[in-house]
Amino acid sequence: MGRFKENFNLFRKNRLGMTGLFILLFFLLLVILGPILPRIDEMYRPMTGVDKEILWSTPPSRAHLLGTDFMGRDILSQLAHGARIAFMVGISAALASVLIGTLVGLVAGYFGRLTDTLLMRLTDILLTLPSLPLIIIIAAALGKQSLWIIVGIIGLIGWPSTARVIRAQTLSLKERPFIEAARVSGASNFRIITRHIAPNILPLSFLYMTFGVTGAILAEAGLSFLGLGDPSVVSWGMMLQWCFTTGHTFRAPYWVLPPGLSISLVTFAFYLIGRALDEIINPRLRER
Amino acid sequence: MNLGRFILNRLGQIVITLFIITTFLFLLFRMMPGDPTSMILDPKMPPEAKELIRKEFGLDKPLMVQYLYYLKNTLTGNFGKSFYYPETVLEIVKRKLPPTILLFTTAVILSYLIGLPLGKTIAWRRGSRLEMGATVFGLFFYTVFIPWFGLIAIWVFSYRLGWFPIGGMLTPEVWAADVGLFPKIWDVLYHLILPLSVLTLLFFAGSMLLMRNSMLETLREDYILTARAKGLPERVIKNRHAARNAMLPVVTALTLSLAFSLNGGVLTETIFSWPGLGKALVEAVLNHDYPLAQAAFLLLAILVLFANLLADILYAYLDPRIKY
Repeated sequence: MGRFKENFNLFRKNRLGMTGLFILLFFLLLVILGPILPRIDEMYRPMTGVDKEILWSTPPSRAHLLGTDFMGRDILSQLAHGARIAFMVGISAALASVLIGTLVGLVAGYFGRLTDTLLMRLTDILLTLPSLPLIIIIAAALGKQSLWIIVGIIGLIGWPSTARVIRAQTLSLKERPFIEAARVSGASNFRIITRHIAPNILPLSFLYMTFGVTGAILAEAGLSFLGLGDPSVVSWGMMLQWCFTTGHTFRAPYWVLPPGLSISLVTFAFYLIGRALDEIINPRLRER
Repeated sequence: MNLGRFILNRLGQIVITLFIITTFLFLLFRMMPGDPTSMILDPKMPPEAKELIRKEFGLDKPLMVQYLYYLKNTLTGNFGKSFYYPETVLEIVKRKLPPTILLFTTAVILSYLIGLPLGKTIAWRRGSRLEMGATVFGLFFYTVFIPWFGLIAIWVFSYRLGWFPIGGMLTPEVWAADVGLFPKIWDVLYHLILPLSVLTLLFFAGSMLLMRNSMLETLREDYILTARAKGLPERVIKNRHAARNAMLPVVTALTLSLAFSLNGGVLTETIFSWPGLGKALVEAVLNHDYPLAQAAFLLLAILVLFANLLADILYAYLDPRIKY
C-alpha cells in the first residue's frame, strides 16, 4: 500500500497524466449516468411520427440537448451508450492482447532456443503488418459481424509489441541471482515463471494495457465507421457512420462533432495515462 | 557480410513472410462457413449450374491441390477475376498501387522532416512551454480518430473555404485535355495537399517524441560533457554531437511506424476518396469482392515489407559502425 501511495504521488506530479485521468473520469461519469439520463430509452426509438416537431435530424433543443439523428433518436443518450461500448471494447481487447503478449514474451524469453526463434519470428511478422487492414480482412472472412468477434480479432492482433518488451525483460530477469537461487532449491520452470518472473513484469504488462486500450478503441471505431462493425451496437464509430452515410456530415455539426471528439479524447486520455505510468516504471525517462 | 549479402538475406526473409501471409489468407478464406461460391451465387440457381461454377473456380478439387494452385497463381500475379468489376484483379491493383505509394511515402517523409527537428528542439529545451505545447498538440493528433478529423478538415477547408477539392486524386477534365505535363502534376498536388497534411499532422508526433527521448538519453552521455568542457558552442553540441547520435534509434523505429501509418492511410484514403489500395480494400470487403480484397491486402503487406527494407538500408548508411 505504501508503494502505491508513493507511485500515486509521482503520478500526481505528472500534469499530462492527471489531465488524462480527469478526461477519463468525465467519460466514466457519462457511463454511470447514462442509464439514468431521462431520455436513454429513446436511443433506439425513432421520434419521427411520435413527436410532431421532430421529422428528421434536429439541432440541439431543450428536449434533446445534443439534438437528434436522422430518425429522431436522441444523440446524447447514444453518446452515453457509446462511452460504455468504448470502455468495454477497449479494456477487454487490450486485456486479451496483453495476456497473449505477456504469455508469449515469458515463454520465448524463459525457454529461449527454438521456441524463442519461432515465437519471435511470428511476433515480428505480425508487428510489421499494418493491423487495420489485417483486422478488416479477417472480419471480412468471418462474415457476420458481432461486437465480441471484433473484440476478439483486435485482441488477437494487438499482442506483438507487448510480447517483445516482456521477452526482453524476462531475458534480463532470468540471469538474476534470485532466479538462480530458486532453481538451485529445486523450483520447477512453472513455479519460477509464475512466482518469480511474472510478478516482476506485471507492471510492464499493465503499462502496455493502457496503450492497448487506445489502439483497440480506435480500431473498433474505424471498423464501425467503415461499415464493418456490429450494426446492432451503438458505438461512437457507428454514430459517425450513420451521420456520414445519411449525408449529414456537412450539415449537422451537433451530430458529427460529439462522437469523434469523444473517441479522440478517450484514446488521448488513455495514452497520456500510459505515458505517465511509463515515466514511473522507467525512471530513466524522468527529469533529473 | 557486405551490404549486398545483407539485402539478399532480408529479401529471403520477405519471401518467407509473404509465403506465411498467403497461406494464412488461403486458410482464412477457406475456413469460412460454406464455400466461397455461396457468397456470389444466387441460392435459387439450379445445382448443376452451381456445380459448373464450382468447377470453373477449381473448388471441386481437394484442398491441397487448391492450395498449390493458389500459391502458383499468387506467385505469378494471377489474382483471378474480380467478383464486382469486369476487370482482372491484377489490373485493378496495378492502378491502385501508385496513388497509395505517393500518399504514403510523402506523408512518412514529411512527418519525419517535421518531427525530427521538433523533437531535437523540445529535448534541448526540456521543461519549457514549447515542450509542453508541442507534446500535447502532437499527442492529441497521434490518438485522434482519423476519419473524423479528416471529415472536419474537408468540411472546413474544402466545403467552407473552398481551398481544396472535396476528394479524389485527379480532375478528369484536366487529364482528358491536351495541356502538357505541368498542369497535370499541379492537379495531383492540388488534390494531395489536404490528405497529405492530415496524415502528416497525425504522424509527426511519433517521430518527434521518439527523437525527444533519444536525444535526452544522448545528452547524458559522457562525450557531451567532454564537449561542454572543451567549451564548444551549445549549437554545435546540440546539432553535431547530440542530434546526430540520437537519430539512429529513431530510424530503427521507423520500421514500426510504417505499418502504423498505413493503418491511417487506409482510413484517410477512404475519407478523401483517394483511389489507392486502402480504399480498394475497404470497398472490396463491403462488396464481398474477396479476390480483390485479398490482393489489396497482400500488396499493402508487400509495400510495408519493402519500405522496411529501405529503412534498414538507410540505417546502414547512417551508421558506419553497423556491419552486416
